[in-house]
Amino acid sequence: MSYFFQLVVSGIVVGSIYALSAIGFVLIYKSSRVLNLAHGQIIATGAFITYALTVMAHIPIYISFVLSMIFTFFLAMSVERIFLRRLIGEPIISVIMVTIGLMSIIDGLIYLTPFGSENFSFPPFLPEQPIIYAGVSISYTQLVGVIITFILIGVFSWFFKKSTVGISMRAVSDDQLASMSIGVSVPRVFGLAWATAGLSAAAAGSVIGNITGLNFGTLHAFGIIVFPVVILGGLDSLLGAVVAGIIMGLIQQFASGYLDGNWGLYGTANVLPYILLLVLLLFKPHGLFGTHEIERV
Amino acid sequence: MKTNKISIWLIVSLVAFMLAIPASSGAKVYKLGLSLAITGPTSDAGNPYAKGVEDYFRYVNDNKLLGQDTIDCTIRDDKYETSITKRNFEEYLDMGIVFYLNYSTGSTLGLKRDFEEVKMPTIPASFHAGNLEDSNYIFLPIASYSAQAIGLAEYVVNNHEGKKPKVALFVHPSAFGRGPVDDVKKSVAAGLNMEIVEVVEHGQDLDNTAMLQRFKSKGVQYVISQTVQSPVAVMLNDASRLGLVAKTFGEKGKFTFLGCHYTGGNDLIALAGDAAENFYWTTSYIITSEPGVGRDAQLALAKRYGRDDKAANSHNYANGVMVAQVAAETIKRAKARGVEITKESLYEELLAMNGINAFYPVTTVGPVTFSKDDQQGVDTLQLYVVEDGNFKSEGTPFIPEYTGKIK
Repeated sequence: MSYFFQLVVSGIVVGSIYALSAIGFVLIYKSSRVLNLAHGQIIATGAFITYALTVMAHIPIYISFVLSMIFTFFLAMSVERIFLRRLIGEPIISVIMVTIGLMSIIDGLIYLTPFGSENFSFPPFLPEQPIIYAGVSISYTQLVGVIITFILIGVFSWFFKKSTVGISMRAVSDDQLASMSIGVSVPRVFGLAWATAGLSAAAAGSVIGNITGLNFGTLHAFGIIVFPVVILGGLDSLLGAVVAGIIMGLIQQFASGYLDGNWGLYGTANVLPYILLLVLLLFKPHGLFGTHEIERV
Repeated sequence: MKTNKISIWLIVSLVAFMLAIPASSGAKVYKLGLSLAITGPTSDAGNPYAKGVEDYFRYVNDNKLLGQDTIDCTIRDDKYETSITKRNFEEYLDMGIVFYLNYSTGSTLGLKRDFEEVKMPTIPASFHAGNLEDSNYIFLPIASYSAQAIGLAEYVVNNHEGKKPKVALFVHPSAFGRGPVDDVKKSVAAGLNMEIVEVVEHGQDLDNTAMLQRFKSKGVQYVISQTVQSPVAVMLNDASRLGLVAKTFGEKGKFTFLGCHYTGGNDLIALAGDAAENFYWTTSYIITSEPGVGRDAQLALAKRYGRDDKAANSHNYANGVMVAQVAAETIKRAKARGVEITKESLYEELLAMNGINAFYPVTTVGPVTFSKDDQQGVDTLQLYVVEDGNFKSEGTPFIPEYTGKIK
């Protein structure tokens, strides 16, 4: 039985990290209907900033982590201000193409630094012995990752539901023109959406980097890996990102634990989430919690 | 007026003659090309590799190892994309290269026919045995991934205590990773006394708990990896968390992890930290944590050209230096024979690199030998194991026995 619970715990850990990585996509899409394809690069940037501050500037890692989130907050806000603000009102495809360009620019900039082609790892800062309860283990790194994920998701959920700015962001997401007519600054909302996405990306990057080590290829790949999570949860739903992330994590762990290596099956952990995604989208094209829009023609 | 004109013509002729002197003295420039991933996936290996190639050719030119002749090796980034590699290669052909250095398994397989068509001697950084199938012009610098995996499997069989050892293979989901699987299976079929319990092609895994628990439930004791460092590091960290890393080779109830060339090196230790302790790794290169002539030569070269410690101590820097050594040596030998340096003559020179003509670079654990029937350079392997955060030699260099038996 402990085997089963170990898989559950591992699934939740992996799923939480997927959810944390997916939040950035959701935040931007929720307010501006734009899919930021450079999200993986921002995740990697956040991780490298945390590392640089910790190892090169000798700042304690907890403070580096917060500083990195603040830095990427302003970085993403600047990116929106410089590259995307002019595209408000332009076709969405143009904006998405800009994010592809952005991806190349960030890639190029990171390759100019040692982070582009070298491997690094965070200095150990948490106890190395795992927490073991009833035969089920979880490392402190994983536990901290899960806690950060749920704190951030709680904060963002509150922000969107209760704060004036969050409600403005949802309003802009629903109807830009109507929002402007009641005095909401759409450019400011877009800037904030990008900034908060940058903040969550830094958190995700630092957590992933702590688990996998700091390798640019591995880190920026998470921008794509979590794509099925975002689609499954519904592009504009924070709750959806969490639920879908955990579903994906659990499916991967159970497939790996019970299917792979048995009955001639291999690699199901990598394939099954996509099969599930395809089947689910047949019945729920907007994802589990995505907004089902009805347009009057 | 006429005298002036004659004087001008005399001066012009004199200048032209003087300019022609170096050419008539025979100094030649041999053009080579290297296309590899300096950015993009696997650039953590490609970057030091490129530095190794660049530094060694600079060393050849600076020390006039080819007399007045020089090597001009153009190095271009292909971002690990075969389409870019192909474009680079075609441009190198236009430049008139006489020797080509390639990088990835994918691009080597993809351009294999091109190399055949233009008869270009090629050394890739990929040690995939499949590169050599139906190919006359590709030469692997060291033992193939298959030979490496078989060598590790043989070490397991020879050092395991108890019943038949149970082994899992953990491989990259590509031709690069899958390459050795069939050859290890063939070795088992040919009598290598072990059981392959499972072959796992990994994904971008954040947690390998399920896989490791599954291995444990099936009695697996050894995991042989053929991939890159990052997924191995994640697996080692998970195994360490679960208390499943063997403290001594073959410790019962635990896993002993082993890996081929690109799984190991200092980058693995950087990524996995303490979890890398007791990881067994094989390659044909001498590493800088082991004192010796090879280490001194590598570090001196890196220092001379201002490389940082990370590059200087990278086994992929050694990898780049070694392929450049082979290329320079073939040119040197062809020159010594007085033949014109062309891709054809260098190809013949490579084929003659065996027996008493074997080449002994100081950075490898054995000689480089090539012939019509042997396109695999250094056949010898060395096993290393991580002790106190450094790779240390384990035993003496060896040649896997079953690579010959399954041919």
